[in-house]
Amino acid sequence: MIGFFLLYMLLPLAATLLFSFATRWDRSIFPEALTLKWWEAAVSRRAFGLTMKNSLLVSLATMIVSVLLVTPTAYWSHLRLPRSRPLIELFTILPFGVPGVILALALIRCYARFGAVIVYSPAMLVAACMVISLPFMYRPIVNALNAADVKTLTEAAHSLGASWLATMMQVIAPNIMSGILSGALLVFSTVFVEFTLVNLLVGARFKTFPIYLVEFTRFDGRQASALAVISFVFAWLTSLAVIWAMGRAERHREGALGAR
Amino acid sequence: MRPVRRTRSALLWIPLLPFFLFGLLMEVVPLATVVYSSLHDSGAHLTLANYQRTMSPVIRASFANSLKLSAVTAALGVLLGTLSGYALMNVRNALFRGAATALADVATNFGGAPLAFAFIVTLGSTGFITLLLLKLFGIALYPTFRIYSVTGLVLAYLYFQLPLMILLVQPSLRGLRQEWKEAALNLGASEGQYWLRVALPILTPSLVGGFLLLFANSYGAYATAWTLTGPDINLVTIRIAALVRGEVQLEPGIADAMATLSLLIMAVCVLGYLGTNRFSQRWKR
Repeated sequence: MIGFFLLYMLLPLAATLLFSFATRWDRSIFPEALTLKWWEAAVSRRAFGLTMKNSLLVSLATMIVSVLLVTPTAYWSHLRLPRSRPLIELFTILPFGVPGVILALALIRCYARFGAVIVYSPAMLVAACMVISLPFMYRPIVNALNAADVKTLTEAAHSLGASWLATMMQVIAPNIMSGILSGALLVFSTVFVEFTLVNLLVGARFKTFPIYLVEFTRFDGRQASALAVISFVFAWLTSLAVIWAMGRAERHREGALGAR
Repeated sequence: MRPVRRTRSALLWIPLLPFFLFGLLMEVVPLATVVYSSLHDSGAHLTLANYQRTMSPVIRASFANSLKLSAVTAALGVLLGTLSGYALMNVRNALFRGAATALADVATNFGGAPLAFAFIVTLGSTGFITLLLLKLFGIALYPTFRIYSVTGLVLAYLYFQLPLMILLVQPSLRGLRQEWKEAALNLGASEGQYWLRVALPILTPSLVGGFLLLFANSYGAYATAWTLTGPDINLVTIRIAALVRGEVQLEPGIADAMATLSLLIMAVCVLGYLGTNRFSQRWKR
């Protein structure tokens, strides 16, 4: 069973990797020879850099705005208004039940009357990406807040004369950093590979890496395989970073318990 | 004294306003718009006409296809994911176990174009497995099998459904205590009886919950299907997207009705999952 699982998970990746280096591979079991030319061709295109930049831009913007919106909200609700928690969780769970296609439709149907400039804009795209990644941002932060003794920390900071902003930035944020970090990384990796919302909300006007990749699969499979490998490696790296950040949180917690 | 207190507690909500405003503008109002306009004609009269028009054979078929695809990939995902998860748990080597779990974690998030493409390279008409079977064993997959079909979609969806199920079922599998098995065997039960009469009933809530979440996951998927099979496959998400993109004659009413029905299906799945989740928590220490 484990062999089946590993084969199912790894074979498509291995095949894609090998395909991107193969000169010709449609008559024999293994590639006839290996080459780097598909990689060179795929990476040297101007559109490659451009779409990469656009994807990074959208992912980073979503990540930053999401951190700035969710962290203070989760902190305040945790500390001063526990009653608000079910309502906040409702908003963060709702995106699970809304497929990207339907979110895009809803936004267009709702805001198209204000003009195409607003509804089909990169800003709307970032806001929509925030919605779909909201569960990934909120959960780790709440877990970190539950683990750290936020109340005592806040009271200590206040009794020493720190303002709300200083408490938030200098006392609370460092203590829940691993949660913020995991959340931010999850948001980043989710948005980077997002295809549906980009395709329906901004389309050809603002091409991101996944859109570029899909266009390529239609007319040049060899170069597309190089792009797919990049995409997989990227997903691996961000996932490993998330696992690292969460492991850090775990150790942090154990350390804190051990000290007590 | 009391009114003062009430104002103060109302003031406590102010820092949460940006978040709620965001949720209202980006989630509640747009979704409500879709539901509202699905039930009204252009003159704002209450009507079920949009739903009547979704009863056309093509649209009914798209719902049937989407539901079938979701049910099949969810059922296979639950079965294979649970078996893999159990096998994985019994691996002695902690490093290997960690690596395999990390693999499941990453694969859950794979999807869309790269995934579809990887399956074309593996099982397409000149794919790796296709060639391997043809040259080594003389088995010709094509033209009977096609990766650009619904069967192909099932295989591709399983790539993220299977690992998701592993992650979902692992906590419950770990919750099965060794003592229960020993007690059952001591009392004369066979291994099979233990699994059927003790373990399975305890696992049932997580299995049902996993099925519902996998179902929703597959129902809402769009990018993988779009890349693998193109705009011609008749699935609900593909159809709604085509209406949004204006590829077919624009009939917003139909898109709204299809979206509302889909939201209902998704709501049943997600709420059902949350319900079973509460149930399965009982068995955990």
